[in-house]
Amino acid sequence: MAKTNIIGVYDDEDVLMKAIHFMQKKNIQIKDVLSPIPIHGVFEALKLTTRLPLATFFYGVLGTSLTFAFLYWASVVNYPLKFGGKPLNTLSFIIILFVATIFIGTFLTFMTFFIRQKLYPGKEVQILDPRSTDDKMLIVVDKDEKLSAAEINDIKSAMRESGASEVNEVEEITTKKKFVWKHEKDIH
Amino acid sequence: MDQKLVISPKFKIAAFVMMGIGLIAFIYAFISHPGRGWANLLINNYYFIALAIGGTFYYAMQNITQAGWSVGFNRIPLAMANFFPVLFILMIPVMFGLHSLYHWSHPEAVAHDALLQHKAPFLNAPFFIIRFVIYFAVWIGLTQLLRKLSFKEDVEGGIRFFEKSEFLSKVYIFALALTASGAAFDWIMSIDAHWFSTIFALRNFVMGFYHALVIIFLVVLLLNKQGYFPFLNEDHMRDFTKYIFVLCIIWAYMWFAQYILIWYANLPEEAIYYMPRTKGEFTPLFYTELIVNWLVPFFLLLIGKILRSKNMLIVLMIILMLGQYVDVYMQVTVGTLHKLNIGFIEIGSFIGFIGLFAFVLMWSLSKKPLVSKNHPLLEESTHHHGH
Repeated sequence: MAKTNIIGVYDDEDVLMKAIHFMQKKNIQIKDVLSPIPIHGVFEALKLTTRLPLATFFYGVLGTSLTFAFLYWASVVNYPLKFGGKPLNTLSFIIILFVATIFIGTFLTFMTFFIRQKLYPGKEVQILDPRSTDDKMLIVVDKDEKLSAAEINDIKSAMRESGASEVNEVEEITTKKKFVWKHEKDIH
Repeated sequence: MDQKLVISPKFKIAAFVMMGIGLIAFIYAFISHPGRGWANLLINNYYFIALAIGGTFYYAMQNITQAGWSVGFNRIPLAMANFFPVLFILMIPVMFGLHSLYHWSHPEAVAHDALLQHKAPFLNAPFFIIRFVIYFAVWIGLTQLLRKLSFKEDVEGGIRFFEKSEFLSKVYIFALALTASGAAFDWIMSIDAHWFSTIFALRNFVMGFYHALVIIFLVVLLLNKQGYFPFLNEDHMRDFTKYIFVLCIIWAYMWFAQYILIWYANLPEEAIYYMPRTKGEFTPLFYTELIVNWLVPFFLLLIGKILRSKNMLIVLMIILMLGQYVDVYMQVTVGTLHKLNIGFIEIGSFIGFIGLFAFVLMWSLSKKPLVSKNHPLLEESTHHHGH
């Protein structure tokens, strides 16, 4: 069975910020916030954390050591060739170490990000509401099967109270079926 | 926001005691070891010239990019602009010590030296002094104008001063590109008159910019401990440390760019500059310079715990201040004294200069409101929130 999300559509970022705090006060689990622009404070308000910078650091260390190992093997162990009177294991490594560290660090960070987000080139991205790439901001709440009708109503009314211009239910489509956006008009 | 800095009597006493130590160190130096006295005067002068150049460049940069986050702290680089008049007075004695510092100033040495004869049209005492006056005239003139605009804005308000400051800052950075390069060539690079490096001016400028940021941040943190800048939050600190982190990498880049080209080409006339630095009694300082200015801040500024702790940052900034001293010391002493001396003269004179310029900085800050009043971006700065 396809999963369903309850989506509150907001027109203004300040209203959205207030809505996030309002809903958190009511103990509603916010699954995601979608917005066409970066909004200050959303990251902190949702208490999101990321270990990506730490991963990048270790990829950098890995890149430096791998590149050094290769350079050392190539110019000292495997094919020791003296030129310019310079020692074999030299400072001239540093420039390529510098560049390769940046490359490996960035590349692996991106790979990690793509894998964690289950993204790949050519993936059909499901957009919960196409207007969220234009001028609307969304608060997404998971519509759990365990939730009772009253609880779902609570969530919807909380969205409306906090200034949502519309409240919709959108079904998530996981298969290759073309994505259909069901528009359930909000009754004020 | 109407806070005015009050200089505590304790600070005044400490500053004057430090200045006294410096004065004693210089008197002792000029009586017993005049050569060391001149070298130390140049080291300390150049140390603070680099800081003043870097600080005012930072201020100009904030105006040009219309940066909002830093507006609340911009009175500190503006106060650093007041270093220039003091340094002008302190640089005048150096003009009398040319013979002790610069090889090219001896006519009998130039007479037997084809290379110095070739450079003589540029490296001669009268032109040297003329350039010295021009540099300081440009720096003092433009930075005092920038100061005036900022203080006028406090009283009159309006967007006019903001725009004028931005325009003047653009003029200033162009002027600075020429004068700061010239100053580095004249006062530091001409110590080793046979040698030259084309990246030298940039490397010295980056050193000043980097450590000026360190000083600005250190003053912000210390004043914040006293209860000033109540709006200082973690995002300001993160931006400052980011700035310092980036400049730390740029400094290492410039340092290394100069070193590796000379090392790689290995031309005798260029390599001679690094010979006494890498082989001999200066070797430990050579590596200290790199470790303190690059390795230590690079790894420490990656750690989130340090970035959030004001006390740890204060300690780190003080270490970086010493790092700049090693940097300038290495550039001046090797060519003038040819011998490693670290004793009362070096330490005492540095302490004296720190006391003097800390006092100049605090005195200039206390004369006017600590935070500019009518700057259009002030609200953004006091409620700064960044990523």
